[in-house]
Order: sequence, then C-alpha cells, then structure tokens
Amino acid sequence: MKNLLDIVDRAARDEGGGPVRVVHLRIGEMAGVSEDALRFAFDVMAKGTAAEGASLEVEKVPLRIRCAGCGSNSNPADFVFICPECGSRDVEILAGREMEVDYILVGDGSAESENRGG
Amino acid sequence: MHEIRIGEDLREKNEAIADENRKLLAAKKIVSINVMSAPGAGKTSLLFRTIPMIRKKHAVGVIEGDIQTATDAEKIATLGVPVYQIETGGVCHLDAAMVHSALHQLDLDSIDLLFIENVGNLVCPAEFDLGEDARVMLLSVSEGDDKPKKYPLMFRESRLLLLNKMDLAPYVSFDVEKARRETLEINPKLDIIEISCVTGAGLDRWVSWIDAFIETARRR
Repeated sequence: MKNLLDIVDRAARDEGGGPVRVVHLRIGEMAGVSEDALRFAFDVMAKGTAAEGASLEVEKVPLRIRCAGCGSNSNPADFVFICPECGSRDVEILAGREMEVDYILVGDGSAESENRGG
Repeated sequence: MHEIRIGEDLREKNEAIADENRKLLAAKKIVSINVMSAPGAGKTSLLFRTIPMIRKKHAVGVIEGDIQTATDAEKIATLGVPVYQIETGGVCHLDAAMVHSALHQLDLDSIDLLFIENVGNLVCPAEFDLGEDARVMLLSVSEGDDKPKKYPLMFRESRLLLLNKMDLAPYVSFDVEKARRETLEINPKLDIIEISCVTGAGLDRWVSWIDAFIETARRR
C-alpha cells in the first residue's frame, strides 16, 4: 500500500497538474490481493499524501493462460491449469497476476466534465 | 483533468531487492527455502524436527518471520543454529527488504542452507519474492481439503507441498486424493509429500527432497 501511494505521489509531483482525482488499478483474478482490504487501506493511508480524496478504481483482470503444447489461449475456470483444447498441463499464465497502477487522473473538475468536453 | 499513464507493477520495487538477495545468497553459495503456510500449520515444528536430521550434512541458518514475538526464533535457537527473528510489526508477510536486513545480521559464511519461515498467512506471502531458491508450503489436514481452490496462488507458486498433521487425517475427514487432484490442477509440477511432525512420518522423504533440491540448485 505504501508503495502504491509512493508511486502516485511521485507521478503527481513529477507531472504536476493539481490534485489526484482518480487512481486506477489493474488487479488480476489470481493476484494475492483482497479488494476490500485494498480499499480500506487506501482510505486510511492516503490521508496526507497526494492521493488523499482520490477515488480508487479497481479493474479486474481475468485469468488467461496459453498452452505450450498446442498454443491455444483460454480462460481457465476454477483455477484448473489444464488446456481445454488438448489436455496439456504445460500452460503459462498470460494475464491474471496483475497488481499495477495503470493511470491516475489529476487536475480540477470531474471526470464527467472532461468526457463531455471530448 | 488529465490522465497520467503509469503502468507500474506494485511488486517491482520488491522484485529489485529480491534480485539483490538472490545475488548475495548465490555469492555466498547458500541455498534458500522460503517456508509458507497458514498460521498454525506447523512451519516451526517442521524446522524444529528437520534441522537435527540434516545438520551433519548441511550448515543450517534460519530467518523467522512473525508479526510479533520472538518465540519461534527462541525455539529454533535451542538447536544451536544461527537464527534471526524478523518482527514485521503488523505486516502480514515478509518482503525482500526485511529479508535483506536480516541477511546482514547472519554470518553468511557459516551457513550453506537457509530456511526463511514466512509469516503465517495463506495469501500475501505468495506475492512477495524474497530472492529464495524454492518455495515450500505446508497445508495441515485440519485446515480442510478445500484450501487449494480457495487460495490457489500459493499452491501455484510453490515447488513442494507438505501435507502436514497426517496423523490427524482420520479425525478431520480430510480427503487426501481430492486435495492432491485439485492441487495438481493448479500446479502440475508440484511435488507433494505427506508428513507428520508429531510422529515423524514422511520426514525422511522431505529430507531426501531437500538433499535432491540442493544438488539441483548447486548445479545451476
């Protein structure tokens, strides 16, 4: 969490442009993160940092795997790491482990007015 | 209002320190094993039983991770091996920076096998690379056979699963075959050994696993 706030602080300071309004995260289905715990910690720890008062957006990234045997991609259900096409157990994770700060929105005004202004 | 693209993984900073730990341990020719599990699964008991079985062959050192108290380190210290206690002060996992500090508190020239006992937690420790050579996890049968599918990440990230407290299996209706099947769906490469730190059953196979792993790690 401290690392998240440090990243936001640094970006907001380096780029300038006013207060941070939105912090947008991408969190994988298989990341070891609880969204509830994340939101709670963000609310508590953001006070006194550049992220204070910003809203936290959490984008969920579904688990996606690639089979090393037949090369097909799939979204495994119930964490079964077996290729549904050929049955191979030699699969790698393409997505679903993310735990990243994708972007932040800074400045005055709301996201809505920005969108209307095109 | 404007957008600032960041695209930075929250684990990057930890990864960088973990790489430093890896280099330091490799330079000192130390093989390291990160031991993870839920609280009370038997990590400390495992080390307490294992160290006397292997200490003639390997110079063991231990880093203990706990949120509070040094009782685990005190218990291991009675075996007469070097041990350092990390008290995380509320943090529910070890991270690479904590281990980095601990490495500077141990005499790395006097050990060749380092056990890092993580904080008891089935989720967060799996996200934090410490610079270790292998991750070994324990699942005690009293926790239930549904845990692999509920907490898949640690099972996916581990090289060996020790099914502990097998002496209790008849009393807690733990379905070993179901646990094995579902665990191997998550991680087909996982080794699984059934043990009991009370009766000592299976510990000889765990010790053989350690020996074989050290051989492999040293050849790299």
